[in-house]
Amino acid sequence: MDALTTTGLTKHYGHREPPIHPPGHKPAGVVRALANLSIAVHEGEIFGFLGPNGAGKSTTIRLLLGYLHPTAGSGSVFGLDIVRDSVEIRRRVGYLPGGIALYDSLTGERLLDYLGDLTGRPSVRRAELLDRLELSARTLRRQVRDYSRGMRQKIGIVQALQHDPELAILDEPTEGLDPLMQRAFYGILDDLRAAGRTIFFSSHILSEVERVCDRVAIVRRGQLVALEDVARLLERRKRNVELRVSGDPPRLDDVPGVSGVTVLADGRIACQLDGDVGPFLAAIAGHRVTDLTIEPAHLEEAFLELYEDAEPDGGVDDGDAGQTHAPSPPEASPAEPPEAPPAEPTAPLTTTAAP
Amino acid sequence: MSRTLFLHTWRTQRTKLLIICVAMAAWSSLLPVIYQSFGSQMKALVDSGIIPKQLTDFGGGDVFSLGGAIALGYVHPIAIILLAIFAVGFTTSAVAGERQRGTLEVLLARPLSRRRVYVTLLVATLLFIGIVLASASIGTVIGATIVGVIGDLRVERLPMLWLNGMLLWSAIAAIGLAASVSFDRLTPALGITVAITIVSYFLDILGSLWPDAKGLQPYSLFHHLTARDVLNGTVDVLGFGLLAAVAAVAIATALIVFPRRDLAAPS
Repeated sequence: MDALTTTGLTKHYGHREPPIHPPGHKPAGVVRALANLSIAVHEGEIFGFLGPNGAGKSTTIRLLLGYLHPTAGSGSVFGLDIVRDSVEIRRRVGYLPGGIALYDSLTGERLLDYLGDLTGRPSVRRAELLDRLELSARTLRRQVRDYSRGMRQKIGIVQALQHDPELAILDEPTEGLDPLMQRAFYGILDDLRAAGRTIFFSSHILSEVERVCDRVAIVRRGQLVALEDVARLLERRKRNVELRVSGDPPRLDDVPGVSGVTVLADGRIACQLDGDVGPFLAAIAGHRVTDLTIEPAHLEEAFLELYEDAEPDGGVDDGDAGQTHAPSPPEASPAEPPEAPPAEPTAPLTTTAAP
Repeated sequence: MSRTLFLHTWRTQRTKLLIICVAMAAWSSLLPVIYQSFGSQMKALVDSGIIPKQLTDFGGGDVFSLGGAIALGYVHPIAIILLAIFAVGFTTSAVAGERQRGTLEVLLARPLSRRRVYVTLLVATLLFIGIVLASASIGTVIGATIVGVIGDLRVERLPMLWLNGMLLWSAIAAIGLAASVSFDRLTPALGITVAITIVSYFLDILGSLWPDAKGLQPYSLFHHLTARDVLNGTVDVLGFGLLAAVAAVAIATALIVFPRRDLAAPS
């Protein structure tokens, strides 16, 4: 079952265009923040929502929570419509905004009480969260204005999760947390997943998405460019291989999955390996390999590969109508049915490449 | 209406409210003193023709009668400033200020409709204004008692005067809240509300001082605060209705605009 779905969700900011244009009229001032986004987040998974600044991540979250009204398309959370049932959705959702602002004049404890009361559900997880994030009772008695950035972020995490929401929407949740607290936070996410909770996790920190997420959607310039399992995304990423042999070097050019074979000045051979490692291992089996390094694929590389054709600014908030009028990727906006195979990223990449 | 939000608003404003109430009561208690101390001398001065009559009718008040002195107190800049702290300052920052600070994010992440948030803030605002105006009435009674002119005061008319003040300041507060829900930043919401209040105030003052500008007075919200007439037993039903209508239009506007508008991520 899906916790969250969007179908063709689209958001334009700015002035509405008149229905009749004079000759040569160019639409101006309209920012296409999100175009035709179709995703499905399954219950009980941690879903990463990746993209550079201005890609449309926050816009999507704000549409889901009713801060924004869609220009086109629709969305639902637990079967509730994001426009009509926004209040009921927020009763079942915990939200951590990016760069959270808190009421400075309140103490941490009073703030959590206040926000918990507004939610109208008992704060059943608060004690556990405070313990794991090392927020002591003494700290909570201090005013929020005295908190460091990291402490504010911890309070933000607690307020989002203290009522044990069925869906947590977390926008850059580890921002400002030190590595130890990041680890503690990942542990909390693992526990939430084990308890069947769904996490919608927006980030541009690729390593943490790789660490915690089951599936990932990548958006660029308001459009979905990939949606698939993190493991499969990593599997498909070419691995970097370096080997040193004594004697004749192996012939790797024709080995399936091997590309970019280069003999380096010091005699090492470098290449890239894609997919099954079997043929490669077979090719080097008869040679005396003295050193072999196969770098694990990182999501960052997969991500960069998806973005390799992108313009440097990479955002949509410039209102670049030319770019945003480009046809939306047919299969990168997979109105992905539950359990459907993940979309192949190659087609969307070619259709969404920047001019 | 959200009880939790209301109580939070009350807690955050109660100290300010107490201070303003004390200041308002102190100011209002001075007016019977001024009337008792200078009223007859001023009347003699005016009767001598040294002071133009227009100056004695400033803002619908005077110091020759207790009712006139109280009316003068209601339109005096001190009272205006004290009441504007909630009717303008609180209302404009209630939504636009929270939006600018980013705290509206966590509030609207809760299961609260925007209309419910608005209604809660409106009720809180009206309560604050009502309490401040009540403290003015209490101050008036205390001052009149202290200087021994309580017999000149028609105490039974004070609730009607309170209602007249409530209607005026509710209209201004409703405009402030409507501006507050319409903007992402405090400055334009505050600027518009302050501008409307000041222009409205000066239209009334100008009309009272300059006969040629008298025709502008009905366009001023302050013109329909008729404290002296109310204390003398006359109620301008049309003026009351006009103030109520302005408040109703501003409230209706906010109730339509706020739920429909987009709240983009705070910058």
